[in-house]
Amino acid sequence: MLMESRGTPPDVASAAVGEGAVAIQDLSVRFGSTQVLKGISAQIARGKVTALIGPTGCGKTTLLRALNRLHDQRPGFHLDGSILLEGSNIYARGTDVRDLRRRMGMLFQRPNPFPQSIAENVSLGARIHGLWARGEVKARTEGLLRDVGLWEAVRDRLGGTPFMLSGGQQQLLCMARALAVEPEVLLLDEPTSSLDPHSTGRIEELVASFRGSKTVVFVTHNLQQAARCADEVLFMMAGEAIEQSPVRAFFDHPGDERSRAYLEGRTA
Amino acid sequence: MRSTLRRGRDLVFWGLCLLALAIVIVPSLAIIASLLQQSAPALNAHLLTATTASNGLQNAILGSGLLMVGILVVAGPVGIAGGIYLAEFASPTRGGILRLGYETLAGVPSIVIGFVGYIVLDQEFHWGFSLLAAILALSAIVLPYVVKTTEVALMQVPATLRDAAIALGLPRVTILRRALLPPAIPGIASGLVVALAIAVGETAPLLYTVGFTDQNPTLTLFQHPIGYLTYVVYLNATLPTQLEHEVAGAAGLVILAMILVLIGVGRLVGRRAVRYAAQLPT
Repeated sequence: MLMESRGTPPDVASAAVGEGAVAIQDLSVRFGSTQVLKGISAQIARGKVTALIGPTGCGKTTLLRALNRLHDQRPGFHLDGSILLEGSNIYARGTDVRDLRRRMGMLFQRPNPFPQSIAENVSLGARIHGLWARGEVKARTEGLLRDVGLWEAVRDRLGGTPFMLSGGQQQLLCMARALAVEPEVLLLDEPTSSLDPHSTGRIEELVASFRGSKTVVFVTHNLQQAARCADEVLFMMAGEAIEQSPVRAFFDHPGDERSRAYLEGRTA
Repeated sequence: MRSTLRRGRDLVFWGLCLLALAIVIVPSLAIIASLLQQSAPALNAHLLTATTASNGLQNAILGSGLLMVGILVVAGPVGIAGGIYLAEFASPTRGGILRLGYETLAGVPSIVIGFVGYIVLDQEFHWGFSLLAAILALSAIVLPYVVKTTEVALMQVPATLRDAAIALGLPRVTILRRALLPPAIPGIASGLVVALAIAVGETAPLLYTVGFTDQNPTLTLFQHPIGYLTYVVYLNATLPTQLEHEVAGAAGLVILAMILVLIGVGRLVGRRAVRYAAQLPT
């Protein structure tokens, strides 16, 4: 299947929700001689929220960053296996990496707005990718800021620096920035770990609202958060995928002894 | 008992800090004071209206200013581009070779660079005493500073900012312009200031490449010597009369004043640039 051409709106709705949007096949990643991911296979369901959980250092973030090729420039990066987005291998020769990254939006552990005005932060990506016409920039910027619930707080200082906003507001701004380029998949790397409970709640509401329209991969350390937000859980340990299950099944009847031990706070 | 001991230790620590501060500040104040004292009788409008032919500094001030503008035009863009290339685009191998190159260049004594400039540009190319040759020689001397400070300023931009820009699928030029350069500009500006300050204080390479003249400089790039301040300090200190010594001191003061203005401009540029970058996460 050919890559979608740039600017084509993601057609998640017509494709069946729940089927694999991203297929990870026997994926191994190493940096120099350090093996970080070992033969991971998993299906990321379309239009659903998949939580990536596991102990610190198990490779959750490495896996997430492999999905939008954020490791490409790291020295010593080596990848085996494949990752298919809607059927095409994102590591294949000739892949349009910039468009791939547009289709896979990302939110990071700490909010990281650009050193540009608040409005520019939202509109920059969409304008560069040619998604917005010149005349609609203002309205669409406002629309996105309303969507994430930031409009009232920033409407009077759209030209001002984003660094005067609270951490939670900055993260919502980053969410608006990510949504502006119309991604099909959202990669969330512990996006609430540095936020207050209110902002955390707001991010979780947004994630819930994406159900059915966007595919979400959500790395979290917080098991309650995984239980609240996720449809599916992918449990990882020491660079391996231990278990992938629907969220209720995972928490009620973990299928693997190591999952059970992790949930009960034991070391297997 | 304990707290007295702690207070005593605090006192010793702060005392040492103050001493270190004094060691830094006193010499610079002493230099300024002695220059002022030495040049006081000569500090008047005559310095600005007369050329070195009649114990003024007009041609030397204009000449030094002209050299600085030239260096800004040549070493500025080349050095900043080089630093950007090293920080953002060069492969480790190429970067290593280039770094070896500019570190070597930084180690070459300025008089050797002046000599090479004289042999190649003034003689071989028949430029004669030449403003352009002087600008190129001084640019070669300060280029390593500009490259290094640009590279370091870009490296210090938080990695998470780079990640955000890459993850949005932005092209490299946009990443550089919108995410990485704004927080790096204060560092780059201060590097340029240091470079210009070094350049305006050089004498040896100028003796070779552009000679000296009592006449006011023109924009002629070739076959035309110009005056500059450091030469006045150097020459007048060896001349017999009191007035000539005073003019040497005045020339030294003007160099210091120029450097202070440079530092001020560098700070202003930096402050303007961090408008959006203030409170950047580190």
